[in-house]
Amino acid sequence: MTKRVRDSIGYSALNLFMAGACFLALLPVLYALSVSLSATNSLLSANFSLISRTVTFRHYAAVFTEKPVLVWFANSVTLAVFTVLISLAVAVPAAYVFSRRKFAGRRVILRILILLYSFPQVLSMLAIYKLLSTLGLINSRPGLIIVYTGTMAVFGLWNMKGYFDTIPMEIEEAARMDGCGDVRLVTRIVMPLAKPSIIVTAAMVLVFVWNEYLFAVTFLTGESTYTLAAGLYTLQATEMAGSWPVFAAASLLISLPILIIFFLAQRHIVSGLTAGGVKG
Amino acid sequence: MKRAMIRIILLCMLAATLTGCAGGNSDSSTTAPKPVTITIWHDKEDAVADVLQKALDALAPDIAVKLEKKAGLTEALKMVGNDKNAAPDMYWFAHDKLGVYAEMGILAPIGDFIADEELADYIPMTLRAGMYKGTRYQMPLYFETLLFLYNRKYMKDADVPATTEALYGYMKRKTHGGHYGFVEQHSTAYYSAGWLHAFGTEVLNAQGQPHLDDENVINALTYHLKFVELMPDETEYATVNTLFREGMAHATLAGPWLVPTLREAGIDVGVAPMPVVDETGLPLAPYSGVQGLHVLKVHAREKKDAIMKVLTALLEPQIGTDLALVSACAPANGKCYGDERITSDAAGMEMRRTAETAVPMPNLPEMDVMWTVLGNLLTDVNMRGQDVAEAAAQAQRQAAQLIEAMR
Amino acid sequence: MTSVQISANAYKRGKGTLVSYLVSAPSLILIAGVVVFPILYTAYISLTNMNVYHWFNYSFVGLVNYARALFVFNSGFLSALGVTVLWTIVNMAAQLIVAYVMAVLLNMPKLRLKNLYRTLLMFPWAMPGYVSILLWKTGMFNSQFGLLNRWMQDLGHASVRWLASDLGAFICCTVVNLWLALPFMIMIMDGALQSVDKSFQESALIDGANWLTRQTAVTLPSIRPIIGPAVIITVFTTFKQFDVVYLLIQQTGAKTGSHLHTILTYAYENAFIASNYGYSSAISVIIFLMLIAFSMLTRTRTKEGV
Repeated sequence: MTKRVRDSIGYSALNLFMAGACFLALLPVLYALSVSLSATNSLLSANFSLISRTVTFRHYAAVFTEKPVLVWFANSVTLAVFTVLISLAVAVPAAYVFSRRKFAGRRVILRILILLYSFPQVLSMLAIYKLLSTLGLINSRPGLIIVYTGTMAVFGLWNMKGYFDTIPMEIEEAARMDGCGDVRLVTRIVMPLAKPSIIVTAAMVLVFVWNEYLFAVTFLTGESTYTLAAGLYTLQATEMAGSWPVFAAASLLISLPILIIFFLAQRHIVSGLTAGGVKG
Repeated sequence: MKRAMIRIILLCMLAATLTGCAGGNSDSSTTAPKPVTITIWHDKEDAVADVLQKALDALAPDIAVKLEKKAGLTEALKMVGNDKNAAPDMYWFAHDKLGVYAEMGILAPIGDFIADEELADYIPMTLRAGMYKGTRYQMPLYFETLLFLYNRKYMKDADVPATTEALYGYMKRKTHGGHYGFVEQHSTAYYSAGWLHAFGTEVLNAQGQPHLDDENVINALTYHLKFVELMPDETEYATVNTLFREGMAHATLAGPWLVPTLREAGIDVGVAPMPVVDETGLPLAPYSGVQGLHVLKVHAREKKDAIMKVLTALLEPQIGTDLALVSACAPANGKCYGDERITSDAAGMEMRRTAETAVPMPNLPEMDVMWTVLGNLLTDVNMRGQDVAEAAAQAQRQAAQLIEAMR
Repeated sequence: MTSVQISANAYKRGKGTLVSYLVSAPSLILIAGVVVFPILYTAYISLTNMNVYHWFNYSFVGLVNYARALFVFNSGFLSALGVTVLWTIVNMAAQLIVAYVMAVLLNMPKLRLKNLYRTLLMFPWAMPGYVSILLWKTGMFNSQFGLLNRWMQDLGHASVRWLASDLGAFICCTVVNLWLALPFMIMIMDGALQSVDKSFQESALIDGANWLTRQTAVTLPSIRPIIGPAVIITVFTTFKQFDVVYLLIQQTGAKTGSHLHTILTYAYENAFIASNYGYSSAISVIIFLMLIAFSMLTRTRTKEGV
């Protein structure tokens, strides 16, 4: 067999395998999709099949007409944008110095942070409430942004510090020898090299904020202040009359922006190192 | 001492947090000079909340009533209950949490605003539900109990079992081929408590002591077991209600909120009295939940007049009737039963009848843990096949330990 | 970013430590407020009698809560602890292996639809966790209507109560947890693989046997430092996982009959529902200390690579 034939057989098998993996990953999602499109008002049904026989989009329409989804969407976007930006703004410099400077207390802080991170956050609710009420930030977005940024700060610091560690110092030193200033060094050399890690961190923060409902529900009051996840949660929590298809439709709709962002971000998670010309 | 300590911790690390976040426009405080704003937290559906909102809008311009939907209301109240800036003035919820809040000291007695005589026409059960340690903490609006619902397509009016043995016979005849004669959330405390009550026992006595290892509890659970064997393996809400809604189950115990959905699904649904347990001669007596308004202490004094006006407005039977109709529940105010719209509602009237035997959910703080413990007991007996007496003794120990842990 | 620029020069002048702290101050302050303060506060509350009966007028009671908390740490708790450790090990092992294989496959040079696959594989991550768990519970595992049982019936088998037994519940919870956690792990591994030399991947399909050796000898060690931090953090999130087990099998009103508990669900059901903050804070602190001990143990093992 020639290499080409073997390759093409191999890739066909691989594609098949990937398609299978995606199907598995999407199974519950397909289920939700099917429920959201079905004309009968049911999450469960004896007559259920993955491919609905009677397709209707009225549940999707209902999401938009019956609930202030666009307001929730705007709230989610605001929170997400601010949280991601602030998270990166505080975590990138911190991760950089924690990676590059061998200052006193560095190791201890890193080790303690990861231990503290293991404290279950549900148990922190009361304390965080005390914190926000002292600052007068109950029922306000800045309050939530502080909570979200702080929650993800340990992750951001650790994750990006780890990545910076893998970037050889030589690149920076060489640039410096070439007369590269500090600003240029960071914006032209370090940041591009760290791009994959920055994007992964941003994605993590984004997903966290987008899907977080516990803090949002506890610290915000009134439907007009909710985020999408919080709104969706109330849709389900007060579920008495039963509108599962609307709930399923809403769940899928709120995942969509994240997926689009993932898809667009794919090509940016390219290798920083190989782009920089140094082999890891 | 402890306050100082909180301050120190907070000041040390948090004052600086402000620098971490750019721009904090905290316009959250509710300072309303006049009209007086009354904020009411609730977790009801929009349609139901709208009825109350409209009714209370009549108090404008002196009083602006603001109904705010709050998810996770019960937990949020624990945190913000006496916070001047964050707490609402009232909340609208079932009566079963009021003991916790009364003990916490965040509730103001209703008696400060409305004299008991004004409530003379209310159904006694709904008034009992709002009492905790001799003080009234709830202004009842409407109530719900479980109902015996049946699908007329399968169960003819004449076939409706009057006794549990008749029900068992029906189940044995009809449960096969994916169909069930009768389904309920058999291992869920709220739905199964009716069986315990029918054996003359209760989960928690008035002193807050559990008696799950009581002989009557064991008898009730043992008797219940043969029914469970003819029911599906799942106990949760969605499965049980879907079976009935899709015509796979002929009868069920369900709340009134299900009725509109059932009609929409094209089920010819009948409402019947609860069957009587042959052995004891008592009907299944479900829990009842009384929905009403509770006043929080934080602003009770400064807003006394406004709160009084709001509560007085709610005495109007018209509001009770409208609320009951939109929420598919039964009005608490006896005067509402003069209204033809109420008397023609089968589910509502059946609840009115059930109210005579229904047991208001205990509003003692201890009940908080009993929901879980009783649920575990039912699960162990019904879904795990454990010996009833053994499981009951174990549950009793767990209940005692948890109640002990509350203090 | 100006702070970073200052730091580089100042460091050489010997003010490195101060500047480093200044640069990382915003991050550390946020962590202090949102992560550290709650822990200190919990520790403080654990020394008081804050409960339903003393909600605002609580007072110091010393170590009373700790003494009482020992009652919770009975045989039930010990088995929950065992389950939690097993759970962490099984989940992490499965996660790392599956994510690694998927990431390697996604990096096959001639795989054309890789960006589509990548995006689709991220879907579980894009949904709020409780929604996914609900979908699994009712859509997949439900013994009346679940898809799994529908398929079982189509194949002529009797329906199965997947979540009823302890073992079944453990497996189902693991599957759901993997489903929720894999996207992130795949993303991390994928990103890491892209930063290492790809030339060995080229020949992957040709020399099958050598491939595995190369993976373990070359690729794996080179991505280890990159994935290290994310893996450590995932170990902790797996250890403290609550939602999956609680919502799938232990939710009040929707129990399945399984007695499977992790330490958190166990503590929740046997202490936290009592609304005694002093008492449950004491238990939280003890669990937290256990977590630290656990992490010390694992640290020595993983130290080499991370």
